[in-house]
Amino acid sequence: MVRAATKLGSVTEGTVILTVNGVQREVFVDNQTTLLDLLRDHLDLTGTKKGCDQGACGACTVHVDGKRIVSCLALARQYDGRDVTTIEGVAAEGELHPVQEAFVRHDGLQCGFCTPGQIMSAISLLEEGRASTDEDIREFMSGNLCRCGTYPNIVAAIRECADRDGDR
Amino acid sequence: MTATINDRLLGQPFDRLDGVLKATGAAPYPSDVSIPGQAHAVLLQSPIGAGRIRAIDSTAAEAAPGVVAVITHLNSPALGEAPMTGLGGPPRNPFTDDRVLHYGQNVAVVVAERREQAMAAALLVDVDYEVSAPILDMDDPRAAVENNAWGLETHDGDVEAALAGAQVTYDGTFRIAPETNNPIGLFTTVAEWDGDRLTIHDSTQWPMMVRASLAAVFGVPEAGVRVLVPYLGGGFGNGLRTWPHTILTALAARMLGRPVKLTLTRPQMFTSLGHRAQSRQRLRLGVGGDGRMLAMDHDATASLAAEETNFSAIVIGSPEAYATPNVATHDRQVRLNIPNPSFMRAPGHAEANFAIESALDELSYQLGIDPVELRLINHADVHPRSGLPWSSNALRECLTVGAEQFGWNDRNPEPQSMRDGNKLIGYGMAGVTFGWYAAPCTATITMDSAGSVIVRAAATDIGTGTYTVAAQLTADLLGLSMDDVTVKIGDSDLPPAPQSGGSGLAVALAAAVQSGAAKLIEALIDAVGDSSPLRGKTVDEVVAENGGLRLRDDADAGETFREILGRHGLDHLTAEGTSDLAAAAKNAKMATAPAFAARFVEITIDEDLGLLRVKRLLSVVDGGRLLNAKTARSQIIGGAVMGIGMAMFEDTIYDQDTGRIANATFGDYLVPVNADVPDLDVVFVGEPDRFSPTGVKGLGEVGVVGVAAAIANAVYHATGRRMRSLPITIDQLM
Ligand code: FES
Ligand code: FES
Repeated sequence: MVRAATKLGSVTEGTVILTVNGVQREVFVDNQTTLLDLLRDHLDLTGTKKGCDQGACGACTVHVDGKRIVSCLALARQYDGRDVTTIEGVAAEGELHPVQEAFVRHDGLQCGFCTPGQIMSAISLLEEGRASTDEDIREFMSGNLCRCGTYPNIVAAIRECADRDGDR
Repeated sequence: MTATINDRLLGQPFDRLDGVLKATGAAPYPSDVSIPGQAHAVLLQSPIGAGRIRAIDSTAAEAAPGVVAVITHLNSPALGEAPMTGLGGPPRNPFTDDRVLHYGQNVAVVVAERREQAMAAALLVDVDYEVSAPILDMDDPRAAVENNAWGLETHDGDVEAALAGAQVTYDGTFRIAPETNNPIGLFTTVAEWDGDRLTIHDSTQWPMMVRASLAAVFGVPEAGVRVLVPYLGGGFGNGLRTWPHTILTALAARMLGRPVKLTLTRPQMFTSLGHRAQSRQRLRLGVGGDGRMLAMDHDATASLAAEETNFSAIVIGSPEAYATPNVATHDRQVRLNIPNPSFMRAPGHAEANFAIESALDELSYQLGIDPVELRLINHADVHPRSGLPWSSNALRECLTVGAEQFGWNDRNPEPQSMRDGNKLIGYGMAGVTFGWYAAPCTATITMDSAGSVIVRAAATDIGTGTYTVAAQLTADLLGLSMDDVTVKIGDSDLPPAPQSGGSGLAVALAAAVQSGAAKLIEALIDAVGDSSPLRGKTVDEVVAENGGLRLRDDADAGETFREILGRHGLDHLTAEGTSDLAAAAKNAKMATAPAFAARFVEITIDEDLGLLRVKRLLSVVDGGRLLNAKTARSQIIGGAVMGIGMAMFEDTIYDQDTGRIANATFGDYLVPVNADVPDLDVVFVGEPDRFSPTGVKGLGEVGVVGVAAAIANAVYHATGRRMRSLPITIDQLM
């Protein structure tokens, strides 16, 4: 295995129209572009992070039609017409989302690189009602790696939000 | 003359100042930087572990859509050599010649208009390799060995005689797998030249070092190189060198005359940056029947790259761990065809602690002495080599408070004696000593006419909380509120500061800020009018509070900063603070104390499946004076999580035929996930350090030390099986 023998499949380009954080966006991309790269490179929404580009770290988590996905494994062209929310879109009118606020207060972030993905996952978890026990929080947050090791503080932040929502 | 710490703000658990930026995705990391007109570079790395490049044909790649250049050793200009730093020599320069020394060595840089185009074109570069057999085994007789490369060995007393005379002897060998730092932030460089001036956004923990390296490599004036890193997506030691990809990005930008951006892929994070060396340690101890350690012979071998250096010795801290009269340490590095090992959180100390603290656990059973008691018996009341008193040391308290809070006495010391259904329960503990380090540091404090200040230093915040603690300390020293202080770091144009590394930044920067605050107060006193009650006073005679200065012994005699600056129409006043604690330590007549700690852990093991889980983990830490109780705790829990990884998961696997890293993804290289980590308790004990001017100690690394030993000792307690090899995997427990 000294060099790749194959050429990539043919590259085509096209327009995707999607709603991002409530605003309709029209983006011209090629068929290799991921949703993550569309957000970061084409729309300059760099809050969503790339930690692996392989679906294994969760840093790129966004919501599509209200469900969390890892945007590095999503090809942008397949998301035509969909409704995407990123970390830039969760705070209403300059007010932090309660989950963001809880992450800051519980120090659920250190370097902060995994944080946007963690928060997007945490918001989903709470909306799905899957944060009713600490075990559930830990289990369902395990797709989001944090190398700084903030896990106990992340659990504390989500626990507090769940308690306030009356989910537990 | 010092500025007084008021303890008004210092130590308070303030939220991180950059917390909101990070929680909203607004904090700019190097990978978020884009410069108009930038081209994108990707690396092509060697798929072989050793050999030679016979030929490179880049014609097809050059003709591919969007490609602007393919750079290899054949068409790149000669580069200068980066200087030695306080942390050893630079990595081998990229594109030096046609030799391949490890899997994942940079072979070509492909630059294109878009990243996808560069990635596609990289697959078209045709490299013809002459493959030779890589040396990958530390026992391979062909492997070159460096003995005591850094002069860090200790030979004190007569170890062999003391071993021969000891009532009980211990002889054990420990192995630790190579670990890869793997910060979540992919290391990125964005380089832009303007003539001989270079602006570079780079994932680094040490902007000043990158500046010096790049200036030397490209033969340009240091002052014209600006390194920017306001935020870093973690480093854990990865950002303490100027790695080849950084040089190659700057090289591409220089050759093309346009900005170039390069982001490593996750697999390239394994091959392009450092990692914790693979290691083997033999530890021999001689102990009296009373448990007193009489002799220690600690012999460590670590992996090293074929032609690079790694300023590290596993045994560096062993001679000062306990009150052992006779100590010999041996440091050996074995050259392999692997990417260069470098620093990973608590390098050396984390590995050595595993051996020493496991050995003490074994001895506790042999001697019938409780493990906590055995540590107390051997506690170094003074520095064991110099005999000097410690500048602070609350290790005894760490051990006793920890035992108390953990409920250590509930432990039935008999192995396999505690269970919960089909789960074996194990209690384990470890003592933790660390190394003291501080490098020279500068910081300026500028006050404006409204009494607000800006603190400047070329330091970094790698998740450690530098922004927050620097603001807190400054506000405390100057009697300001947190809102009055802005911290500017992450830029090599700022006053020179050392790396975030060696747990040395907080100590050095805090001392520099304190010195700067004192000089600012002095300058303010100099600026008061003749009728001011502050006229002619010294810094020690005044107190900074409520946005002004007043006499220490008269609360009503003072002036606000506004008044003082306004009188002269000064729109700002700047003072520069410095610290050089390593130099000061030479005359201190005390042993400069690092952080100390004790760790207590409860684990469970499913008897049928061999499944190991950490149930609770308590860290008791002597961290001196805390700058911020919240971020200090986060440093300790973060280290503990990495310690769990070291104990249970992390292993960089080299294919023994090719040198390929077989698990260079997050799918295959396991790091702890949320479900692997219980709530982690942290208790701080001790007093402000007497030597550190602010009383502060470094906490960035000590959190990782001792976790692996405590877990391994708990596994022994649960199962009766001694784990001398990390990570402890299920096959060892079945
Ligand atoms: S970047 Fe998408 S999961 Fe890691
Ligand atoms: S905060 Fe650094 S990776 Fe999670």
